[in-house]
Amino acid sequence: MIDLTVNARPVQIDASEDTALLWVLREHLGLTGTKFGCGAGMCGACTVHVDGIPTFACLTAVGDVAGAAVTTIEGLGAGQGAGQGEEPEGEADHPLKRAWVAEQVPQCGYCQSGQIMRAAALLEENPDPSRQEILESMSTNLCRCGTYNRIVKAVQRAAREA
Amino acid sequence: MRRNNNTETVSATPALSRRGFLAGTAALTFAIGSGGLVAVARATAAAADKTLKPNAWLTIAGDETVTIVFPSTEMGQGSSTALPLILAEELDADWDRVVIDQLDRDDRNFGNPIFGGVLYTAGSTGVYGYFDTLRKAGAQARRLLMQIAADAWSVPLDSVATEPGAVIHSASGRRLSYGEIAALNAPLPAVAEIGEEDLKPRSAYRLIGQDLPRRDVPAKSNGSERYAIDVWVPGMAYAAVLRSPVEGETAVEVDDAAALAVSGVLQTVRLPDGIAVVAERLEAALAAKALLEVTWSETAAARSYDSAADLSGYAAAAADSAREGVTWAAKGDAPAAIAGAARVVEADYRSDYAYHAQMEPMAAVAAVDPDGRGAEVWVGTQTQSWTMRTITEVLDTTADRIRLHMMTMGGSFGRRTALTQEYLRDALLTSKAVGRPVKVVWTREDDVKFGWFRPATAQRLRAGLTAEGRLSGWHHRVATPSVIAYFNPLRWDQVEPKDIISMRGSENKFYGIADLHAEHVVTERHARLAPWRAIGASYTSFAAEAFMDELAEAAGSDPLDFRLGLLDDNPRGRELLQRVAGMAGWGRAPGETALGLAFAGYGDSMAAGIAEVSLDRDSGRLAVTRFWAAVDAGLIVAPDNALAQIEGGIVFGLSSALKERITVEGGEVVQSNYYDYEILRADEVPEIDIQLQVSDGPPTGIGEVGTPMVAAAVANAFHALTGRRLRHLPFTPERVLEALA
Repeated sequence: MIDLTVNARPVQIDASEDTALLWVLREHLGLTGTKFGCGAGMCGACTVHVDGIPTFACLTAVGDVAGAAVTTIEGLGAGQGAGQGEEPEGEADHPLKRAWVAEQVPQCGYCQSGQIMRAAALLEENPDPSRQEILESMSTNLCRCGTYNRIVKAVQRAAREA
Repeated sequence: MRRNNNTETVSATPALSRRGFLAGTAALTFAIGSGGLVAVARATAAAADKTLKPNAWLTIAGDETVTIVFPSTEMGQGSSTALPLILAEELDADWDRVVIDQLDRDDRNFGNPIFGGVLYTAGSTGVYGYFDTLRKAGAQARRLLMQIAADAWSVPLDSVATEPGAVIHSASGRRLSYGEIAALNAPLPAVAEIGEEDLKPRSAYRLIGQDLPRRDVPAKSNGSERYAIDVWVPGMAYAAVLRSPVEGETAVEVDDAAALAVSGVLQTVRLPDGIAVVAERLEAALAAKALLEVTWSETAAARSYDSAADLSGYAAAAADSAREGVTWAAKGDAPAAIAGAARVVEADYRSDYAYHAQMEPMAAVAAVDPDGRGAEVWVGTQTQSWTMRTITEVLDTTADRIRLHMMTMGGSFGRRTALTQEYLRDALLTSKAVGRPVKVVWTREDDVKFGWFRPATAQRLRAGLTAEGRLSGWHHRVATPSVIAYFNPLRWDQVEPKDIISMRGSENKFYGIADLHAEHVVTERHARLAPWRAIGASYTSFAAEAFMDELAEAAGSDPLDFRLGLLDDNPRGRELLQRVAGMAGWGRAPGETALGLAFAGYGDSMAAGIAEVSLDRDSGRLAVTRFWAAVDAGLIVAPDNALAQIEGGIVFGLSSALKERITVEGGEVVQSNYYDYEILRADEVPEIDIQLQVSDGPPTGIGEVGTPMVAAAVANAFHALTGRRLRHLPFTPERVLEALA
């Protein structure tokens, strides 16, 4: 059994230590907002925060994050909204989630959880990033629908409105 | 932490939820055919389910909920909002009370007229194909509600009107909401025939042309949208499939002892072209797959497939004038016009295989019934029709035994269009074998190695110029296989030998070219092939529009002026070119950057684009720093989404132009993942300015129009910058350096 904290809740995982955190989140815990894209750290669709650091869940062994605090898209913003962490899964509120809706960013939507998690880490570090800083920081995350320019707008909006 | 139960999983998304009715709640259900409304019935929900429900496009419930069936499938293009919105517009529905219901059956009553009623979401045809049907049906339903209300009030029909969600009688101040009308116990009038003149004038639209938010965006902005790969059902096992590395080879010997020894592995299952490992957990299935020891046969013809040799062969075929092609488009007498010209210009172009690279790898969940002849299935594809056909063929059964859930797709771009869907087949066969629900998940490596690609092409363009530098005859030969013959043999039976997937764009119909011949030199298929965003136009328009610049240069004309000279009969096209020229400041002298122009489109939608490029001459790295586009796609139903789609199409085109290339050696795809099949990243994307030129015409599609112009605009900008030509797509640094040498 591996103990870790996922979206502020302690969980015990019955998996071998080398199991990818991605499969633990998606298939053991049902947190499917975190996506499988490449399994190679090339697309960023699986981006989560481990102790606040943006991390590719596909390349992270669950054993390596024992005791750590993992935040997924479902938990991003939990405790910040009116529900104080009691929101149903996926409904925790966050300025980036609102900005993504306001700018109508997603098309297929598959990469967007990872994009938002990456953007959240960027804004933690740099609350007012320039277009160029956003593009460089977000270049770890692929979007095949080509929403990159809207992502820039949404990150800037979230920075303004946070 | 709560695991999602079955019910939550199947109820998909808030945007496309299946809304149940309260028992006893009154409802009006409307059946629609391609010609509009065909029937109406009043029923409680339970009765509606048994009678009209199989055919009910539209249901108006006593609680004011208006449920509209979405007959296409959603892969990111936004038609799950746009199509219901068209019906709601003419119905004068209260958009806030509209619920959208995904069509989960192969019910050809809902089929796209463009595809002869087949349920098929492709080719930018959703809004275009359903526009008349949905408007007419919405207007007829509205008329019927007005008639019921007028009868109830004993007033003439022409004295009542509607406001969103209600019929009103101004003279008496009476009002009946649509829900109240649905609940009235009154006889139902006959469905009225209506004509175009009974539909709303565009000036009266209050939904179409507005920037209403897409219904699917909130769930896609917080991780709660569910795709096929996210489905979980009780008792579900996981399967990973080891496929034959070369098409046509089979497993001669399988040693699965090591795989079966992995904790949690249940069994292996032989598939027609591979071996599935089924396990309690996905990680176990994937680990065990890597431990399978398989000896494959070595007899398949595909072992000789080699993309470099194939492309040389295509080029020889394109150049060999003795080799006849299938005429795709012909006007006037191109050979005579070229023969009589003062000068003849000729150039050869090539393009490599391209992969869809949609972000969600292939995945499907199947729960086959104990008798093996029925199933519940969760899958995302671009076609209910061919998905249902795949299921019924694999299980040798009939559609009534199948409970299908069409899931939102994590991109598709043509990938999930084929007549036979092998990822779904594998889920069905493995579920049947193990007697449990099974989720098949492809890895990215599977998705690349077993992709169905845009075909490689070699193209020869030949045209004449008069002594005055006017175009005189146009001949476009495209040497490439038939895509349709492979990805949908049933469709090929109907359209052979004309292959729109392979050839689209080469008809070059936006210009006034009096003498034109476009022909398909059909070559052997040496890879799995499928439609790919913008289909043939993604490479034929590259060649045609790069060649147009070569002709302009030969004629001593500016590329813009030369094109305008061919647009006397296309004022909308002229305006697009002039508009984009203004946007980009066309005519400025090249410096560190240079501009390139192209004019192309998709179907009846036209686009003019200008790329600004810069070049690192040492590395050969070409960067696109700005892109401007002016687009005419007729009526625009959802302008903000149209801009998003066109921008996405441009980014797709840039990615293809600069980077994307699949190669095949010894019958095996060389690339594996995003590290050797790179697509455009955020730091490579230019600022993109798009203007929509909204015209009076019908909607003509926005999903693909952004793509075809892009590669030529980049190649033409490269020429403006360097004086050299790029004639082989993609423009990799090696090819750029070669062009500069």
